[in-house]
Amino acid sequence: MSLDYFTSILKPMLQGSQMTILLFFISIVLSIPLGFLLTLAVNSRFKPLSWLAQAYIYIMRGTPLLLQLLIICFGLPMIPGIGQYLVLDRFTAACIGFILNYAAYFAEIFRGGLLAIDKGQYEAAQVLGLNKFQTTTRIILPQMFRIAIPALANESVTLVKDTALLYAVAVPELLHYAETAVNRDFTIFPFFVAGAIYLIMTLVLTLIFKWIERRFTFE
Amino acid sequence: MAIIEVSKLKKSFGNLDVLKQITFDVNKNDVVAVIGPSGSGKSTMLRSLVHLEKIDGGSIMVAGDNLVKNGVYSKPQEIRRVTSRMGMVFQHFNLFPHLTVKDNLEMAPRLVKKESAKELSSRSMVLLEKVGLADKASAYPANLSGGQKQRVAIARALMMNPDIMLFDEPTSALDPELTGEVLQVMKDLAEEHMTMIVVTHEMGFAREVANRVLFMDNGEILESGTPQELFDHPKFDRTKVFLKRSLK
Repeated sequence: MSLDYFTSILKPMLQGSQMTILLFFISIVLSIPLGFLLTLAVNSRFKPLSWLAQAYIYIMRGTPLLLQLLIICFGLPMIPGIGQYLVLDRFTAACIGFILNYAAYFAEIFRGGLLAIDKGQYEAAQVLGLNKFQTTTRIILPQMFRIAIPALANESVTLVKDTALLYAVAVPELLHYAETAVNRDFTIFPFFVAGAIYLIMTLVLTLIFKWIERRFTFE
Repeated sequence: MAIIEVSKLKKSFGNLDVLKQITFDVNKNDVVAVIGPSGSGKSTMLRSLVHLEKIDGGSIMVAGDNLVKNGVYSKPQEIRRVTSRMGMVFQHFNLFPHLTVKDNLEMAPRLVKKESAKELSSRSMVLLEKVGLADKASAYPANLSGGQKQRVAIARALMMNPDIMLFDEPTSALDPELTGEVLQVMKDLAEEHMTMIVVTHEMGFAREVANRVLFMDNGEILESGTPQELFDHPKFDRTKVFLKRSLK
């Protein structure tokens, strides 16, 4: 195994990693706020909105992400009448699928964070004269996010690995290039390189979340 | 002059009547201790004064303004105005864990009364000094003992300049050796003529600091009077039994 061979397979795989990282960032940056809005919807006193949000979360968590990706990429264009307007660029379609799916998981994480906050916090805020908005933004949300950090970290690591599902909708990413090399050169080595790259990505992510966790430890 | 007038207060959870026609007055500068067995409705009564519990009937008037009249609550704005006269201290402190001690004190007056940062900072330091915790201003609640937390909670309530302070079993969650420091702060407040209502199991405090004691049992005020009257000459057997058990 020469160094030249190593660099020759590493180059396309690193290019593929860019796709992986891009999908990761787009998904996380948009699905966290969307998940948060879903949590608010679930907790809404307007029941139809709450039911709708709960149904959404149930469907998104209850079906495979792969199925959802296939529907968005290949299913939507088949809808009679409007299908022709729903033909999306594969990567865009995949981003939408990831965002919609992960938002449901993040919503449940935030809901768990809200449930963990003691009722005394609301009472203290009330007797000090804070209104609902102030109580939510100044007292409840900061604590909810703090409680949610470990679970968010866990879900984010899963997201890094789930990006490999891009393979199924034929968007070339890290795993795609690894497999191409394996088939072409008849060696398992590229798979190990791919594994190592995933490990580096999740390590960096874990370290970032550890830092965030420390930063928001109130001691 | 009565600063709090409560009449015929009623509250039920399902078909359990927790408060049955409670009537009492609190005068300005009174220190009222509310004692009684657990489940007697003491805390519910106290919490209803600051609108943490909704009552089903009766009236609550604070400094001449109605919080609720014959079971009908005032408008939200009026409720806020009435309850803003009262500070509340909870059994479990309920400090905001994500804020430093100083921010715990300053957040509410900054948001609610729009006081300037400079004014707030000097006032919070004066109050922390008063409860003996000036050196903990930048600590987080997680790093304080129970007694320290409760003293911060008292200072936090005082930051809003209340006319009346309500204490809901302020020492019940503390280790016995930490109750003294909290009771001392409350005693200091009483000596400054703060109007106080204290739900407590601390009979020593009730006897020594309160000028009136209410004994509640089974959702009603069974008897009330000066500490001497109530502790030395209780009228009812139920009071006697309770006192005998509590003073053991």
